[in-house]
Amino acid sequence: MIGKIAWRNILRNKRRSLILIVSIAIGVVAMVLTDAVSIGMMRQMLTNQIGADAGYIQVHKKGYQADPALKNSIADTAPVRSVLSTDTASCEVSERLRTFGLVSSAYNSSGVSIVGILPQKERKVTTVHNYMVEGTYLSGNPGDIIISTATAEKLRVGLGDKVVIMASRLDGSVGSEACRIVGLFETFDSGFDQTHVYIPMQTAQQMLDAPGRVSEFVVNPTDTKRTETVAAQIESDLPAGFEVLTYKQMLPILVMQLQLYDQTIYIFYAIIAIALIFGIVNTMLMAVMERTHEFGVDMAIGMANRRIFTMILTEALYLGVIGTAAGLVVSFAIFIPLSHSGWNLAMFSESLKSVGVGTTIYPVLAASSLINTILIIPLSAVIGAVYPALRAIKLQPVEAIRAS
Amino acid sequence: MDGKNTNTEIVRVENVRKVYHDNGVPVDALRGINLTVSPGDFSVIAGPSGSGKTTLLNIVGTLDKPTEGKVYLDGEDVASKTRRELADMRLRKIGFVFQAYNLNPVLSALENVEFTMMLRGIDAGKRKRKSLALLEELGIGELANKRPNEMSGGQQQRVAIARAISNEPRLVLADEPTANLDSETAVKLLELMERLNHEDGITFVFSSHDPQVIERAHRLLILKDGQIVTDKVNK
Ligand SMILES: Nc1ncnc2c1ncn2[C@@H]1O[C@H](COP(=O)(O)OP(=O)(O)OP(=O)(O)O)[C@@H](O)[C@H]1O
Ligand SMILES: [Mg+2]
Repeated sequence: MIGKIAWRNILRNKRRSLILIVSIAIGVVAMVLTDAVSIGMMRQMLTNQIGADAGYIQVHKKGYQADPALKNSIADTAPVRSVLSTDTASCEVSERLRTFGLVSSAYNSSGVSIVGILPQKERKVTTVHNYMVEGTYLSGNPGDIIISTATAEKLRVGLGDKVVIMASRLDGSVGSEACRIVGLFETFDSGFDQTHVYIPMQTAQQMLDAPGRVSEFVVNPTDTKRTETVAAQIESDLPAGFEVLTYKQMLPILVMQLQLYDQTIYIFYAIIAIALIFGIVNTMLMAVMERTHEFGVDMAIGMANRRIFTMILTEALYLGVIGTAAGLVVSFAIFIPLSHSGWNLAMFSESLKSVGVGTTIYPVLAASSLINTILIIPLSAVIGAVYPALRAIKLQPVEAIRAS
Repeated sequence: MDGKNTNTEIVRVENVRKVYHDNGVPVDALRGINLTVSPGDFSVIAGPSGSGKTTLLNIVGTLDKPTEGKVYLDGEDVASKTRRELADMRLRKIGFVFQAYNLNPVLSALENVEFTMMLRGIDAGKRKRKSLALLEELGIGELANKRPNEMSGGQQQRVAIARAISNEPRLVLADEPTANLDSETAVKLLELMERLNHEDGITFVFSSHDPQVIERAHRLLILKDGQIVTDKVNK
């Protein structure tokens, strides 16, 4: 019956209840969508980096991660190839020879990672081929190169022009090669763009005088949830002298950011909850004071304080639950189309590119954000009603009844 | 009603004084009241405005505390009770009828009556049956599902009486229950209370300055300046 009375009291001042429900709903929408966009952005940063370069698993010669120099590339790839041939069922595998060097035009030069790839295989593990803005991706022709539009601009070169790449060989001499630009790319990450150029594996091995050498094998499980299992299997099958790394070890800062986010989001939740609590305190206090006379009568006819207290908290709980439900409906109405089309933030594209997100964010709704919302918001409503309820039960019956 | 207590007095008021402080100025609302109420009484407290009728009823009803003196309800010293115990005492032993009816505006007539029974923990089926029977007995059965704002003053006051007696209290206190009603309605309401007193043995103490009400009292107490100047049995 207390529940029924609480419900009718909510209906009594529909305008005020509606305002409160709407403010609660706005809090819910803010909480759910901010969370969804942030998580989406974080995950995108991670999958972008994995997709552009790192892949999910890499196999190196031991020590390559700490010192990614040519001398730390794998000279005898046979043991790795044999392990990978058995352990990488339903995985895509690629290999690269990579070194630091210089790419120069007549006008300028730029320090970059020169990456020798097997284009047909590389297409299946990384995404750079999706970001070609001019020309084509590498086809395997010796002497071809693709660079980013940013590098092209810096070197003042264009499609079809020649650039010279230079890097130290194993013996300390300098290898160089004149390459023809067959394609220009522009990804979601301007930092990445400025520091990567791609040439065919064969060209790289020739220029560096490193026949048969490979710096890294990239393994992408089709089901990325299998990353850890596949990595562990490879690691246990490989002889000593190799290292097997997952993206978590290769991109530790990004992974840490994701974990940190899980914690900092609670600060954001707390801010929303506190704002909500203040709103509820205000409104419920007004509602309670308007009903002073009624509480006086309730007390006179023998209603215990704890019941009056419970009744007021119940009203707030109902408002909180209704507001949360309404907020969730609105959140889904916004989220579902947005998660398909993505949220186009072209106007912030420069700053988003500098952190490697891209211009379109695909929000991700985590179960934890829904659970947190469903717990935190109605609870905040109830907490906000505690002070007004305490005020109500402190009333003296005679004085309360006299109030009109 | 409460079999084993029927022969003892329900209320005993001893040397009660009540001093209000109105902006620091002391106001003697009650000045040495002695009074007992016995089971089956049908008493009216009369007296001019400001004589202390409401103050006395509030003190008897444990809603207010005397500045001096003692109040016993069913032999128990009210001053020794906590706020919670007092609320429980009021719930079980006292029914209140107010001048302004004071029904819960969000509840129907039936629910208003059920409410006090719910507070006592009577289960839903039983309290509903009993409330309906009470409304029938008071001649307002057809109003069961109406809200207070859909009822006349007389009808609301009948619901208030039903609410007051729903928990079978030892005593019903009514502060000017007919003051807001026209005289015809007031007389009918009074007849109702008389019937409840006569047939069901419910004890009533109410205040009034309506001559029609006063003349029907079995026992008349006249207050003046916070003192009982007359205490006589009418019939
Ligand atoms: N809360 C209060 N503060 C100060 N003085 C009060 C208060 N309540 C009552 N009084 C004073 O106490 C005296 C008795 O008041 P009370 O309300 O008991 O009289 P009453 O007989 O019920 O009057 P009425 O017929 O007008 O209802 C009056 O002088 C009144 O002004
Ligand atoms: Mg009065």
